[in-house]
Amino acid sequence: MTTRNDVENMIAQVGLGDRAAFSSLYDATSAKLFGVCLRILNDRAEAEDVLQEAFVRIWQKSNTYAANGYSPMTWLITLTRNLAIDKLRARKAGSVDIDEVYDLADSGPTPEAAAVASSERGQIDGCLNELEPERAGAVRDAYLEGHSYNELAAKYGVPLNTMRTWLRRSLAKLKDCLTR
Amino acid sequence: MTAADDHNDDVALAGEYALHLLDAEERRAFEGRLNNESALRVLVSEWDAHFVSLSDETALVTPPAIVKARIEDALFPQPVKARSGFSFWRAFMGAGFAAALGLAVLVALPPANVPDPFTPSFTAELAAEDQSLVVFARFAPDAGILRIDRQSGEARSGRVLELWLIAEGATAPVSLGVLPADSETDIMLPAVLIDAIAGGTLAISDEPIGGSTTGAPTGDVLAAGVVISI
Repeated sequence: MTTRNDVENMIAQVGLGDRAAFSSLYDATSAKLFGVCLRILNDRAEAEDVLQEAFVRIWQKSNTYAANGYSPMTWLITLTRNLAIDKLRARKAGSVDIDEVYDLADSGPTPEAAAVASSERGQIDGCLNELEPERAGAVRDAYLEGHSYNELAAKYGVPLNTMRTWLRRSLAKLKDCLTR
Repeated sequence: MTAADDHNDDVALAGEYALHLLDAEERRAFEGRLNNESALRVLVSEWDAHFVSLSDETALVTPPAIVKARIEDALFPQPVKARSGFSFWRAFMGAGFAAALGLAVLVALPPANVPDPFTPSFTAELAAEDQSLVVFARFAPDAGILRIDRQSGEARSGRVLELWLIAEGATAPVSLGVLPADSETDIMLPAVLIDAIAGGTLAISDEPIGGSTTGAPTGDVLAAGVVISI
């Protein structure tokens, strides 16, 4: 079992240019990071490309890791997720038609299913449960599926501006709850 | 607007940034502020730390081993080694003027006179016991090209054939990719796998469309053969 400290030490070693540590870090974390890519992209080839790009960045940026204040998995997952969403947005920039948006909506979890909380899942779950289920669902979809405002608006059947207002209010409520 | 309103606005904006909901222009503007405002960086890192626990529900999926090989190949290019099958061309290709020289040769000579760079020095025959699938593989280490020639057999309906390398002494196969429908195809191997071919075993498995999703063969191994030196 790889602990948080193990991953932190590996990142520190990678920051010193240690290739063996890089190999161990890959072995310990790539399945998680690949899962994140696949969930967002739903395409194996693209997910593999993003995973590759992510580990190249990790190699290049690990020497600055200690200064950024992130826990190791948060840093790795956030970096990878951002690259996956960049890829997703680039793919869709050319040709988003309404059918595609609705297909995506159909493939997502229902708000009810998404709202089922796991007690092990940190504070955010408890606070999401204080929101209306659809609004909590929109936050989850934005994070886990990488949905844009357009996709969220289509999925939940509200105008774009309404979705943005919802989501910003949800974030403000979440923040209140998380800092209680 | 009061200072408190501004702060609340930034809380939501930082959350939108962390969720990646801002459009490209808003994102750039926000990143400009992030460089200068440490309070904003703290807001983003707090959101990132909270949201990341949502990904606890994301499934672990082992990527195909070829991805690690590609990453290491990209970051740590292998020095050119003199291998068996050392060719005349190799001596030039390592030099800085290789590209210019190659171009000059191509321009100067009619195509018929350009030597075929594919000079295999390893081969393997992958055959099913009942000969329902027979594939010849030849490998040219200098070019890093594995040429696959499918003599008979094809993927089952709604399935694909995936090629694997089991290096000598290795415990796990490495995916070399899904074979296309064409009977002859060239596969470029990353440098880290070139030295693993000799003495290795090539195998073909039956997989769902898109290939194995686990990084290891999931279907029947249909054919296999040991790589031998020509």
